[in-house]
Amino acid sequence: MTPRKYTPDDSAFGSDGNRLLALLSEEDAARWRLHLEQVDLELGQVLSESGSPPAYVYFPTNAIVSLLYTTAEGECSEIAVVGCDGLVGISVFMGGNATPSQAVVQSAGQAWRLSARAVREERASSPAVLRVMLGYVQAMLAQVAQTAACNRYHSIDQLLCRRLLLGLDRSRSDSLVMTQELAASLLGVRREGVTGAALKLQQAGVIRYSRGHISVLDRSELLARTLSAPSRTAACRRGPAARVALAA
Amino acid sequence: MQFAAGCEAVELVLSDIVCQPGELLTHVHFPVDGFISLLAQEADHSSLLEVGMVGREGMLGVHEILGVARAPMRALVQGAGLSMRMATADFRAEIGRNAALRAILLRYVHVCMQQLASSAVCMRFHDLHPRLARWLLMTQDRARTDRFRVTQEFLSTMLGVRRVGVTAAAMALQEQGLIAYHRGDMQVLDRAGLEAAACSCYANDRRAYRAQLAPGRLRRPD
Repeated sequence: MTPRKYTPDDSAFGSDGNRLLALLSEEDAARWRLHLEQVDLELGQVLSESGSPPAYVYFPTNAIVSLLYTTAEGECSEIAVVGCDGLVGISVFMGGNATPSQAVVQSAGQAWRLSARAVREERASSPAVLRVMLGYVQAMLAQVAQTAACNRYHSIDQLLCRRLLLGLDRSRSDSLVMTQELAASLLGVRREGVTGAALKLQQAGVIRYSRGHISVLDRSELLARTLSAPSRTAACRRGPAARVALAA
Repeated sequence: MQFAAGCEAVELVLSDIVCQPGELLTHVHFPVDGFISLLAQEADHSSLLEVGMVGREGMLGVHEILGVARAPMRALVQGAGLSMRMATADFRAEIGRNAALRAILLRYVHVCMQQLASSAVCMRFHDLHPRLARWLLMTQDRARTDRFRVTQEFLSTMLGVRRVGVTAAAMALQEQGLIAYHRGDMQVLDRAGLEAAACSCYANDRRAYRAQLAPGRLRRPD
């Protein structure tokens, strides 16, 4: 990936850019433009490793990034999903500490990034910027707490529906690229479980799943299935976006 | 103003709900020997799950540090005792003018994030037995006593499992001589043994906390 500097033709701060960047004031955005560079993120690319301080903060526009957490025993699953609604590298806004999770690109695309050092300078210079980014930290905390509850209570069918919606909410189309292998490892379940759940969704006409390409045919049904009896609610698919709007 | 001068001492009452999701928190709390459970809740109120615990090591009202007005989770007093509280408006003003204080509190947010992340994965993979051991250790740390009251009903809500599961897991720990549990009276007999029985998440949480908030680290915020 060759980083590309921000140019006047770019619209990182517009509605088709990143939603957090779009919340910055004109004045803050003008300073941030000096630091921002655009990068292409490839499937499987590791943006930061757990235990080390991130070198960059990434603001995806159409890329989607998974945050994965691994226990000391070596079990691993996804704790949160970041797309155009958020940023990768929240720990930089909390004092530049090492991240607990690994950030892996799960859907290729573009992102804006700036160095952790630039963030530290900006953090000090604008309380308004910090307010937006910390609002997102809260949204992220909520998403991870919800993941914990879902992991405890929900069936694989429901976990898969939630996960597809989290991905779709952050993608700019009605389809996702996700092999069953990947879905199983993100959810921390066995592949056969995902196969069975995906098959059910396909037979019900909710998705079409072919060679790792998932097309969503009936989004409202997908949502209904995360809510389905025993009634588990919209709370579990509520992504950060809504909450950031509330916070900012 | 000295930070402590802006606080008042209150008694946390067992089973009190300090706040509900979506509510405005009137005060942030710095528990002294009381402690509070943070519960994630499904919107239909059917299922609750403990995703965090706040005692003398922490603070209730992390969302206020982040500038968010409404509480994300239910906060339930799990251990009665003393807490220092500060009116939310005063707290906001205080962190607005005291950058060093805010830096420390953001480190605490970082620790909370880490603990939540490990809890989420713990829920997916770890058996009830080690999770119960972890929960007992966390409670003992905050209760500052090796003996406390806890019903099986309560344990089953906190851990998100059926009561029969809790009964069996508690019995197993008892047979190993790690705890004595009788009619809601829980006594930790062998703390080292309990640590060995707990999943790695307990040691991990302690490590995360020490890495960010050990006294030696606080003298040099970033």
